[in-house]
Amino acid sequence: MLLFLQSLLNGILLGGIYAAYSAGFSLIFGVMGVINIFHGEMVMLGAFITYWIFTLFHIDPFLTIPFSIISLFIFGYLIQRFVINRVVEAPPMISYILTFGIHLIIAYTALWIWTADFRTVTTSYSGMNADISGIIIPYARLATFGLALIVVAGLYLLLYKTDIGRAIQATAQDKEIARLMGVNVKQIYAITFGIGAAITAVAGSLISTYFIIFPQMGLPYTIIAFCVVVLGGMGYIPGALWGGLILGVVQSLTATYLNAGLSGAITFILLFIMLVVRPSGIVGKGIVE
Amino acid sequence: MLIIEGKNLTKYFGALLAVHSVDFSVERGEILGIIGPNGAGKSTLFNMIVGVYEPDRGQVIFKGKDVSGWKPHRICRMGIAKTSQIVQPFIRMSVFENVLVGGLHGKGLSLSKASQEAEKILDRVGLGGLKEMPAGSITVPDRKRLELARGLATGAEVILLDENMAGLNPTEIEGALKLLREIQNQGKTLIVVEHIMRAVMAISDRIMVLNHGETIAEGTPAEVANDEKVIEAYLGGKACFA
Amino acid sequence: MKRKGSILPTAVIVVLLIAPYSGISGYLVRFLAIIFLWIGKTGCWNIVAGYTGYIDFGPVAYFGIGSYATALLMAKAHIPFLYSILVSGAITALIALPIALPTLRLRGAYFGIATLAFAEAVKQIILEFDRTVGVQFFEGPHGITLPIGPGNVYFYYVGFGIMIAVIGITYWTEGSKFGYALRAIREAEQAAELSGVNTSREKTKAYVISAFFLGIIGGVEAYWLTYITPHMVFDVLITIQMVVMALLGGIGTLLGPAIGATFLTIIYELLHRDFPYTYAIIVGFIIVIVVLLMPSGIVGTLKQKGIAQR
Repeated sequence: MLLFLQSLLNGILLGGIYAAYSAGFSLIFGVMGVINIFHGEMVMLGAFITYWIFTLFHIDPFLTIPFSIISLFIFGYLIQRFVINRVVEAPPMISYILTFGIHLIIAYTALWIWTADFRTVTTSYSGMNADISGIIIPYARLATFGLALIVVAGLYLLLYKTDIGRAIQATAQDKEIARLMGVNVKQIYAITFGIGAAITAVAGSLISTYFIIFPQMGLPYTIIAFCVVVLGGMGYIPGALWGGLILGVVQSLTATYLNAGLSGAITFILLFIMLVVRPSGIVGKGIVE
Repeated sequence: MLIIEGKNLTKYFGALLAVHSVDFSVERGEILGIIGPNGAGKSTLFNMIVGVYEPDRGQVIFKGKDVSGWKPHRICRMGIAKTSQIVQPFIRMSVFENVLVGGLHGKGLSLSKASQEAEKILDRVGLGGLKEMPAGSITVPDRKRLELARGLATGAEVILLDENMAGLNPTEIEGALKLLREIQNQGKTLIVVEHIMRAVMAISDRIMVLNHGETIAEGTPAEVANDEKVIEAYLGGKACFA
Repeated sequence: MKRKGSILPTAVIVVLLIAPYSGISGYLVRFLAIIFLWIGKTGCWNIVAGYTGYIDFGPVAYFGIGSYATALLMAKAHIPFLYSILVSGAITALIALPIALPTLRLRGAYFGIATLAFAEAVKQIILEFDRTVGVQFFEGPHGITLPIGPGNVYFYYVGFGIMIAVIGITYWTEGSKFGYALRAIREAEQAAELSGVNTSREKTKAYVISAFFLGIIGGVEAYWLTYITPHMVFDVLITIQMVVMALLGGIGTLLGPAIGATFLTIIYELLHRDFPYTYAIIVGFIIVIVVLLMPSGIVGTLKQKGIAQR
């Protein structure tokens, strides 16, 4: 029973993280129909920004988060504005192929510059856990989970309670009408991408505190983001939470009761089945072409 | 002799009732016009006939056979073709190849036979001069004629025209009406959805009026033009239209 | 025009047929064989992606399944090579069929993700199967060792034959009823369906044909490599290269895969030993440049400018 609860809890904590870095993916697709294959690279870049600042300047990882946010916002904004914007009007598979190319460029340039070495961010509190009647909760993961929820909630508030957020939603629903109402669609796309990149970077920064990081870590994260978002519904932000939690729990239980390697297989099988059976996600609010 | 009929056709989209218990029947060689305000369910009805949507209730009977819910390609091969409101040419293929596809897969002809047929059909609709052009580069009125040509190539006996005349100028409309009459004279049956009143009135043998998914009137053009329910549906009051 | 058109290909074929015996180096024989097989793989991908417009991101699944089928047949059942690859092709096609039906109902990017997920799932399954079920069948990460095969010249001719077969099938498709159906599906699927094209059957045919040949090629490469692991034969980089080669050469054209495959393999040969990461970065840039500036690829752009005929 204890094992089950521990496994369940691990899954929930994992799911929160998944949700945090998948929300950006969902946002970008929901607003501009772009499936961003270099999404995982933004996690990687966030993680590495934290790593380098921590290693070189000994600043606590949680305090490096503002740097991640700003850097990746700018990065995302520029890349959307000058590269991706040219294919936004094209069928989604074109942006798919294009972002595939950008994934290769970023991942392998990172590999070239930083080498394939695995790295970790180890702080004084890295190994510390809370122990609640036998169930172990690592502080780092708990903090990450909490921050992840804040990020998702923040995104939600941004979209529904601010002017920019409303402009983004308007553009997502009908960009022609948004344009007619004075919205600068190009700008909104670039900002949205920047926001998506920034929150994904936050997740990356948090992840560096307890996962191993390396330049090619991106692609598996992208695939998980796919899975989370398809489960929760493409373009439906709260769905990222559902999808993340479900996936996290399923993976955790599989690893505990079957074997760790199988959890990878389960992820893909689950993704495949969801796409074929119910592409609009568990709650059915996803965008389906 | 009835060639096609619909009985009690009903379609829901979620909670929205798009088409509600619509009946229709068309004699071989007739032209049935269907009119109604936007959103009346005309396109949905068409889509049910050709199998794009499966009716939630009701049947489509073609030459005595129940074809409800059949896949569109089977219905096409049976003999019903449809042009789309928003034209869908095979953009990167030539005008000729567009029509060829209809003959190859709708009528099941060999490559050589279908090619001969395509030439003839293109001449008949007046697109012969454009046959090598990519379909994406011809004008919208020509694309509409291309849709019709493609439909004819499938060997269809019943052709559904979904706003095939939208956007045409008066001269083009006259040309289109003339073409439709020729097609009727060759023994084809037509069901025409149009917003251009004088065109529908001129070409149809009978007219059916839909509003909010239901049939509100049926009869000859003259009968329908004077039907109060029809006038109200369009204009919200008493007026006349010609 | 027709006579001129068939002299050049015939000449090329004759030259390639006698090349290994005309004194060229063993290195070049091997290099050409590699190109032939890439043309074959890319050509298979092109049959589906280029002609139906369904951009598949999991073709490596069938390559890998073919590799494993051949490896198992040859290493464990001691079946000779040529029978093994044919059976592998059949097995791959049989697996492709039930996958085709549900996945081809998806559109655009969802289809891409689903095929990618399928490929990764197969890889993971083969990796974990033995351990999970408690048998010694796929050998998981340890891989399978095949009997030692003949030299590079043998694989040169096998590769050549397969390349000709794939190009031949593409050529035949282009001029046939089937080809028109596929292209109609690519341009406007619903209109195709309304014009009498049985879209799901035609798409499935293309998909299964592609899978069949990919399975055979997978088997050939398995024998040539003599040792395979899941990571080697289900590597997503294989898919990426197929996609890029087709994109670069021209998706949906007959010779696009040949041009793209040749080009990219040359770059790979020049770079991969000394600058392994540079190759991937360059592939990435090629993708970006082609998508933004030359979406019809080399052949397509030449055709548009009226220079090339096919």
